[in-house]
Amino acid sequence: MSKSSENELYGTNLSMESMKVIAESIGIGNLPDDAAKELAEDISFKLKHIIQDAAKFVHHSKRTKLMPSDVDAALKVKNLEPQYGFQSSEPLPFRFASGGGRELHFIEEKEVNLNDLLQNLNAKAPLEVSLRSHWLCIDGVQPTIPENPPPVAKNIQKLESVDPINKKPAKETSGKPTTGKQKLRNVETVQIKQLATHELSVEQQLYYKEITEACVGSDEARRAEALQSLASDPGLHEMLPRMCTFIIEGVRVNVVQNNLALLIYLMRMVKALLDNQSLYLEKYLHELIPSVTTCIVSKQLCMRPELDNHWALRDFASRLMSQICKNFNTSTNNIQTRITRMFTNALNQGDKVPLSSLYGALEGLSELGAEVIRIFVLPKLKLIGARIETHLQGSITSNIEKIASEHIKQLLIKVVAPVLKNIKNSPDYVEEYKQEYGYLGPALHAAVLKARTQPTPSTTAACNISTSLTNVSATITRTVGQPSQILQQHPQLVQNTAGPQRTIMMNQTGRVTNQINNQKILFVTQRPPTPGCQPSPQPQQNTVVKFVSNTNTLNQQKMVTAQKLGITHAAQAGQSPISVVSKSSYQQAPTKKPEQMQPPTSIDDLSHLV
Amino acid sequence: MSTDDMDKSQLAAVLQILKKYNLKGTEELLRKEANLSSNLGDGSLQQSSDVSSVLTGYKSDGDPETYEDCYMELKRFVEGSLDIYKHELGMILYPVLVHMYLELVYNGHTEKAINLMRKFGPEQDPYYQDDLRKLALVTKRDHMNGNELTDTFKSNQFIIRMSRDTLSLLKRHLNDKKASVLLNIIQEHLYFDMYEGVARNKNQIDATSGAVGGEAKRQDNKTKVYYGIPKAPDIQSLAAPVEDEDEAADQDNPDKPKKKKAKKDPLFSKKTKNDPNAPPSDRIPVPDLKDNDKLEKIKAYREASKRVTLGPEYLPSVCCYTLLNANYTVTCAEITEDSSMLAVGFSDSIVKVWTLVPQKLKSMKTAEQLQDVNVDAEDVLARMMDERSGETSRSLYGHAGPVYSVSFSPDRTLLLSCSEDTTIRLWSLQIWTCLVVYKGHMFPVWDVKFSPLGYYFASASYDRTARLWATDHYQPLRLFAGHFSDVDCVQFHPNSNYVATGSSDRRVCLWDCTTGNHVRLMTGHKSPIMSLAFSVCGRFLASAGADCKVLIWDLSHGHLVAELTGHEKAIHALAFSRCGNILVSGGLDCMLKVWDFTKLTEEISSEEVNVSHNPDVRIGDDYLLRSFATKSSPLISLHFTRRNLLLAVGMFDGVPT
Repeated sequence: MSKSSENELYGTNLSMESMKVIAESIGIGNLPDDAAKELAEDISFKLKHIIQDAAKFVHHSKRTKLMPSDVDAALKVKNLEPQYGFQSSEPLPFRFASGGGRELHFIEEKEVNLNDLLQNLNAKAPLEVSLRSHWLCIDGVQPTIPENPPPVAKNIQKLESVDPINKKPAKETSGKPTTGKQKLRNVETVQIKQLATHELSVEQQLYYKEITEACVGSDEARRAEALQSLASDPGLHEMLPRMCTFIIEGVRVNVVQNNLALLIYLMRMVKALLDNQSLYLEKYLHELIPSVTTCIVSKQLCMRPELDNHWALRDFASRLMSQICKNFNTSTNNIQTRITRMFTNALNQGDKVPLSSLYGALEGLSELGAEVIRIFVLPKLKLIGARIETHLQGSITSNIEKIASEHIKQLLIKVVAPVLKNIKNSPDYVEEYKQEYGYLGPALHAAVLKARTQPTPSTTAACNISTSLTNVSATITRTVGQPSQILQQHPQLVQNTAGPQRTIMMNQTGRVTNQINNQKILFVTQRPPTPGCQPSPQPQQNTVVKFVSNTNTLNQQKMVTAQKLGITHAAQAGQSPISVVSKSSYQQAPTKKPEQMQPPTSIDDLSHLV
Repeated sequence: MSTDDMDKSQLAAVLQILKKYNLKGTEELLRKEANLSSNLGDGSLQQSSDVSSVLTGYKSDGDPETYEDCYMELKRFVEGSLDIYKHELGMILYPVLVHMYLELVYNGHTEKAINLMRKFGPEQDPYYQDDLRKLALVTKRDHMNGNELTDTFKSNQFIIRMSRDTLSLLKRHLNDKKASVLLNIIQEHLYFDMYEGVARNKNQIDATSGAVGGEAKRQDNKTKVYYGIPKAPDIQSLAAPVEDEDEAADQDNPDKPKKKKAKKDPLFSKKTKNDPNAPPSDRIPVPDLKDNDKLEKIKAYREASKRVTLGPEYLPSVCCYTLLNANYTVTCAEITEDSSMLAVGFSDSIVKVWTLVPQKLKSMKTAEQLQDVNVDAEDVLARMMDERSGETSRSLYGHAGPVYSVSFSPDRTLLLSCSEDTTIRLWSLQIWTCLVVYKGHMFPVWDVKFSPLGYYFASASYDRTARLWATDHYQPLRLFAGHFSDVDCVQFHPNSNYVATGSSDRRVCLWDCTTGNHVRLMTGHKSPIMSLAFSVCGRFLASAGADCKVLIWDLSHGHLVAELTGHEKAIHALAFSRCGNILVSGGLDCMLKVWDFTKLTEEISSEEVNVSHNPDVRIGDDYLLRSFATKSSPLISLHFTRRNLLLAVGMFDGVPT
């Protein structure tokens, strides 16, 4: 106890003013100062005593917070009348107000309309206490189930990512028993791997497999479940590096392939990981941010830019980016600054930037808030306006560019108008707008006028993005080629029998089946089943994910390297599983133990087929 | 003060109270019995015998100006003395400061008192700060009236253990200085428990200080304690005849192989060797075992044979029972010895019992139906129950305040609960109603525990007493008084001969059920004690509380042997595994910690200890095997099943931390 707080101890008497006010409230008009002082001291002493006693009741109720009932009990013990009618459901019902140099604590007393009580016959009954049993640990190992806390708390993950040296020894955090045998192994491997052990149990590998398959597979119901699991399961910490690798490699491949559907799926995975309360993603942002950025500003994201709604993906990814900025921006990493600068650079490059990328950059900036729009977008409006004018008015340009220009126009009007409304004063003149913003001036003027007449529209469109995106991706899947058809094309390869009702949950050892063990994920690109069913400028190619039994595909499919998705199922081989390993060491692995080890899950770009 | 005077003043006080409440008949009887002249307790005495007589100890004509100098002088002397004596001498600073403060307050020098406390209070050891804060509230003579803490300081000497050398050093200093204020305080209020040997160092002192009345005297821990476990009451001779019966009853269970029998025998014989420290089996009277109890015993032994032996290599599995929707309403929980039922006490006066096994909670048939039951039938107990009445949980209503503790009888037919409404209730788990209300405590009852043998139970209360009861007496058999503050928890020794109590005065006490005397007094906690557990061997006692530490005591001499730290909030649950190798603790910080008790006992037994030589206190988490976090569910009860599966009861706190 510090000296200062010890001193405060004697000063915490109630003030004489309080005594006088209380005296007035019971009809004693002029309480003499002496009496007030005496009263204040005595009452303070008695109050402190009562609180001391109330603390005992807190202890025995196995709580850490004092509640009104404890004070009542303390009064009762002292044979004093309890305070009737002072019940509170919250631990601290006091509100604080200050003003005019005075500070005041008060109890908020809401007016209760008795009519409501009388009419509402079906008053809400409190929930009944129920008992739920679960395993807290099994033979000293804590299972990662929703009932248990995440194996590595978020703040520890944060600490690790900020300051890896401070990483606590594995004994503390992971629930694995340190038997003598394990210790030995750690000693042996310490020279090879220094910091993190990237060991995944068989269950975790299966989980990873199931999740990734479901996330990019064709079954929307399964995907929803998988994303739900990614967004809520507490135990994903250990496989996070692999998840991130999966996403970035997926984006890398599918941007080249212009596969909009898969890009959307991957972005939804990013969203799910961001939403997971138990994960701290900062360590992986350097991988995720480029991928997300790609999905915002890439020149081409789909096969038919004039038909497909790749705008939705750009919008969605932009929102993800703003979410990342909001969650992880610190004064040391300056994420928001760097991202803003990146998008602004795109604006500054003038005509060299394709219109689709321009749209992405604008959308990305606009998601970062009104201030960013005001500083970075407004000065560019005239230039951008001039550029899109040529596409919208002129007849020489292609359809694609016209559509893109139209989207940019809509976007700008949508996001700039609310900003303009706030920074400009009421009389709006078309000329002034035209002068300032060029081609977009009249449209902005109209939008601002409209905005002024309406009450402030809510800008929370973000809440339903995932659903709208789901629809988009679903339609895209349907239009670009039915995955089921593709599967039917190779009936001998299809082994996927997993039902859509599978609950995806880790540590369900019972679900280990051989069938799963000899499947692997392949990204197969595919010619359209019936040429000419879709009018398209180029030969169409889709990437779909399927289950392929590995025996008869090994020699057919060209196996592309390992480093794309560095996942192995090495657990059966008894070898300590590898994570993202260097290319060279990895490529040796299958040759070393080809008979025991499952080949790596690979992404096959099959460029030779095209 | 001679004992005669003492008696007289006490009598006068009693008479005064009788007068106050207008109990004339009793007053007269008492007068007659005590042969007192009627003038006692009248007029003149009335003033003195009440408040002032209790406080005369502080009457002092010392110059208020001298106190501060006096204390400074003493402090300087302590700091200037040799390093080996310094810490022991330092122990007198706190009680001297407290008594100086109280003397000043009593004599009306409030300003001086506050100055003194402000100046020197913060530099006292951190574990005294709580009490200093409480004392600081007392700034007037009136405040001392009925104040628990000041009364304790007034009426009890503060005990300080000191080596002979240190004490002679102190005496020499006092003789030289002749500071009357200091001399008075030391003579009146301090008691030095001298021992031969080297002076203790700071760590040793800190380990055992912190209690309200100072340390325990050596005299307190001299009595022999029969801490051993008596051999199971001729279970072998019991087993033979009963077993056939049992086997017959189990005939519907044909897959139970006969070889079980052979396997069981060594288990019985293992228990037969006599523990030299065990009390004679007739030391306390225990009701005879009923047939049903014998069956139960055999079942327990059988289960025990399937027990997993835990250790650092074989950590326990934990099944957690989480109470949902129970924000701030659950106050206590307890699981039966055979892990079949869970009782939970709520702050809204309800006791709720859940079954943890597929068998439902049945109630007994009505009286008319019971007449039809064949009394001679083998399974008469089962036939008594109404099959259709099975439920998974049942509520018991009757208390009028928060229920602070519940305890099952060993045969699982009775349940005890204690509450803020000052009563203890005995419930039948067959007819699911209250059987007896034990009214004896006049203040909230904090804890109640059934004896491991049944029949007896002990309670602990706000009124600073613990009491021993028998289920068939509505008044307590023994009253264990001596704690300076609330008795917060109580626990029976496995051999039922002793009761341990933990109190807000930060002392753990072991009481003998036969004599009612305290036989061990152990100091070292720095906060109220909330949980107690005896080791399976009966020799060690683990205690834990609001100071977030688990302390292990050796009952053979009353020494503190280990201090297990690691928790961050108050600990409310302690349990030893059935094999005795593991100690688990759980608390409000939502952590379950597993401690290696075997390692601890091995290290202790290798060390030679006797009553005067304190062993080194083992500190640190060398013994921590593992800690498990729950998902924001504070743990309120821990229980090992007969097969050593750990059951934890937590209440989910919806507010994320």
